[in-house]
Amino acid sequence: MNIIETKQLTKTYGDFTAVSDMNLHIPKGRIYGFLGPNGAGKSTTMKMFLGLTSPTSGYFIIDGRTLSSGRIPTLKKIGSLIEAPAFYGNLTGEENLDIIRRILGLPRSSIDEVLELVGLTKHRKRQVKKYSLGMKQRLGLAGAFIGKPPILILDEPTNGLDPVGIHEIRSLIRSLPKQYDCTVLVSSHLLSEMELLADDVGILNHGRLLFEGTMEALKDYAFHAGYPTDNLEETFLAMIQTDNAVRKRGDFK
Amino acid sequence: MIFALELKKLRRTGFAPIFLGGGMLASAVPLINMAVRTETFTGLSGDPFSILMDENWGLMAQLTILLVVCGCCLIYHTEYADRGALKMNTLPVRQTSLFCGKFGVTLLFALLALALQTASLAFSGIHWFSDRSLNLRGLLQSMGFEIIMLLPTLTLMLFAASLFQSMWLSLGAGVILTFLGSMIQESHLILSLIPFAAPYRMLHAVSPEDIRTCILICIVQTMVFGMMEIIYLRIRRIFT
Repeated sequence: MNIIETKQLTKTYGDFTAVSDMNLHIPKGRIYGFLGPNGAGKSTTMKMFLGLTSPTSGYFIIDGRTLSSGRIPTLKKIGSLIEAPAFYGNLTGEENLDIIRRILGLPRSSIDEVLELVGLTKHRKRQVKKYSLGMKQRLGLAGAFIGKPPILILDEPTNGLDPVGIHEIRSLIRSLPKQYDCTVLVSSHLLSEMELLADDVGILNHGRLLFEGTMEALKDYAFHAGYPTDNLEETFLAMIQTDNAVRKRGDFK
Repeated sequence: MIFALELKKLRRTGFAPIFLGGGMLASAVPLINMAVRTETFTGLSGDPFSILMDENWGLMAQLTILLVVCGCCLIYHTEYADRGALKMNTLPVRQTSLFCGKFGVTLLFALLALALQTASLAFSGIHWFSDRSLNLRGLLQSMGFEIIMLLPTLTLMLFAASLFQSMWLSLGAGVILTFLGSMIQESHLILSLIPFAAPYRMLHAVSPEDIRTCILICIVQTMVFGMMEIIYLRIRRIFT
């Protein structure tokens, strides 16, 4: 069963198409990796799911509902981290989470729990503007996890983290579907990370979905299409280069 | 709950000290004026509070408007500086509620500043016009009128601050409008009730038959600017 589905989802800004006729199928309880170079349309798609921007055409369904049928009930089911962590720099980490907690109607203990989960307990009383980039990223993740939502949308969640932090956050994200029965949509342009993290992948280039399926299906597809299959990075680069070459020739409009 | 949240967001921003300091500065105007020109004012005939208002309210109103401009800019700067607004937009809370919360908080602090000014006017009246009968009720009514006159300015400024992520744009616009507002003549009723000009109007200077019109126009303007914010919140998703 798909928890998120899009149908011909398109977003244009003037004559620039950020997302083009995208048909995504994100299965429930799995980690779906959104892969693409910068400007491929990953963040725009995620922003549409969160109602931060409206689709130009097409639509999407999240857990059986369209966003137009009720933004608030849909957002109650989603925890998110978009682009870079968003917070109030004048407040402490704990105060920032308390704002989210109050909006979501959660008990006070949820703050301690989530701070422990992301390893920020020690720094809870420090103003966020004094946090390092990695700490801000962890706080952003804490803000996304705090309500234990059934859907997590994470846009490049390991940005700014050191290798140890990346490993910790990756292990945490990996454990979430089993622990909390949630679905994770995670974007990255770090292919090695996606290979270790995702069950399914969607590969985007210039707003167009080039491939969607499991990791095994991707390898199979790459083999039959004549792309290198030694590692995901080579497969991905070959797919993107081929697509770019086709676009350059004007075969694809 | 939203009101409490909005208050919490303003911790360590200087919002409360700005209103307190600004309120005290505006309150100092009649005290200083009376202290240095006692005989000029006590020599005037008429209601003491009308005298005090006539001689001081222009500057006090201007300071109050500037205070509201700064408050509105600061409240949205807090949202935009570290992208807190983006987080709020991804949470299950109505953005119109957040705007209403900000309106409530700014109004509360503006009331605090006006309360200080009322106290200062009352003290000036009691201290320097002790030989005359004082209409304290009239003073309270007058300040109540000023609160209503301030509402369109507050709502418009909050709306403007929500439009610009850079605080300097909204602050610049607010300061320019504050000075433009002070230039508008009071002779034309409707013109003198536009935002940034209305707070200069004084209850005792308005003819009794126009009081209701003034209040109605200011309330309608407040609602219109509030509606503009709601429309803006709805349509901005199309363009972002």
